[in-house]
Amino acid sequence: SQPMAGRQAAELQSKVVPSKQILHSDNMEMEPETMETKSVTDYFSKLHMGSLVYSCTSKRKNK
Amino acid sequence: LHLRRMEASCLELALEGERLCKAGDCRAGVSFFEAAVQVGTEDLKTLSAIYSQLGNAYFYLHEYAKALEYHHHDLTLARTIGDLLGEAKASGNLGNTLKVLGNFEEAIVCCQRHLDISRELNDKVGEARALYNLGNVYHSKGKNVASARTHDPGELPDDVKNALQKAADYYEENLTIVTELGDRAAQGRAFGNLGNTHYLLGNFRSAVLAHEQRLLIAKEFGDRSAERRAYSNLGNAYIFLGEFETASEYYKRTLQLARQLKDRAVEAQACYSLGNTYTLLQDYEKAIDYHLKHLVIAQELHDKIGEGRACWSLGNAYTALGNHDQAMHFAERHLEISREVGDRSGELTARLNLSDLQMVLGLSYSTNTSMMSESHVVENSLNGTRPRVGRRHSMENMELMKLTPEKVQNWN
Repeated sequence: SQPMAGRQAAELQSKVVPSKQILHSDNMEMEPETMETKSVTDYFSKLHMGSLVYSCTSKRKNK
Repeated sequence: LHLRRMEASCLELALEGERLCKAGDCRAGVSFFEAAVQVGTEDLKTLSAIYSQLGNAYFYLHEYAKALEYHHHDLTLARTIGDLLGEAKASGNLGNTLKVLGNFEEAIVCCQRHLDISRELNDKVGEARALYNLGNVYHSKGKNVASARTHDPGELPDDVKNALQKAADYYEENLTIVTELGDRAAQGRAFGNLGNTHYLLGNFRSAVLAHEQRLLIAKEFGDRSAERRAYSNLGNAYIFLGEFETASEYYKRTLQLARQLKDRAVEAQACYSLGNTYTLLQDYEKAIDYHLKHLVIAQELHDKIGEGRACWSLGNAYTALGNHDQAMHFAERHLEISREVGDRSGELTARLNLSDLQMVLGLSYSTNTSMMSESHVVENSLNGTRPRVGRRHSMENMELMKLTPEKVQNWN
């Protein structure tokens, strides 16, 4: 009777648990995102250059 | 004069924020940028740059709701002042953020805007970057739709296939431009993600070709993280090609680099992959060796789900070797952990494994009239036709299974 129980258990298993139940971890490794960057430094240096140009020209005008 | 001082202070704070973010301390950078916003400035272009950097800092800190908020501010501002390049950049960043948040349709609109403006401005670099971002959105979209549904491996639903095919097309288009520009780093990224897209589409040979290119470029740059990623992805592709020996070689390299880079989580993942690969090779002793290594790290990292997975794998491997006592031990542990983490499908599997094993052990104890009968019963109930089909069959077909733990949970 016990091999019979074994068969029943096997049948139960095949009914309840999908045969797909294998824990294959699908661990795909993606590349990083690229973000677009803005900087106040670029703008600041332009601003700074602008005021430098301004002070030079105004000095020249004063002469 | 007061306005002048305010402007200076806002700039100084923003500059310090920039410096900190560049140095890798986004958390501290954020507080300086936020202080700069508090002080305020009349200069809208400076404010736009601050919003943009705040958005990126929050993105890197994985605080995507905040990232969304600031990139949105940046976009509005760029449009207000008629800064087209600024609008393109803000659109791209907003697109990336929306993608991570799973809002793919809006992400596509934003990334498309980035692409359109870049083409209008004849900005090749921007165009290439927008194409890469679009590829990433379609890749995520395809993967997301695929994992939300259960389907037989190998047959992807049409919408998933379409999204993934679009991703591949965008990566190819990006590759054409960055190759012209001679931008090797960008080529590396595109090859990596193109390879992963082919992998999901089931084009495993194409996946291998792309990842080999990625590997080559990673070595050129001495970028060991990228090299490790390429090895791991190559291993995955070779599993599905049924070339388990080759897969094991790539996973071993992944493991080696993970150890060099002192990344325990990645090391655990590599051990787990190796355990599965040796199971496919039917070398259960080696499989056990790697699954035990995985178990140790999972425990160390308090990764209960990983620990449960390790116990389940160990139970199977010991069963395959006929070591029922050890199999029993790990099946019990698997049951405990499944209960602890509320994994109902894991719990069910563990129960069935346990009842199977109990029966085998019970039978072998009660019918020990002779060695013959004992082995006969074990043969019947464990290696007999039905259980063999039930459990071993699934292991032998592991290469066909593209299942994530999430999907397994969906079977509940």
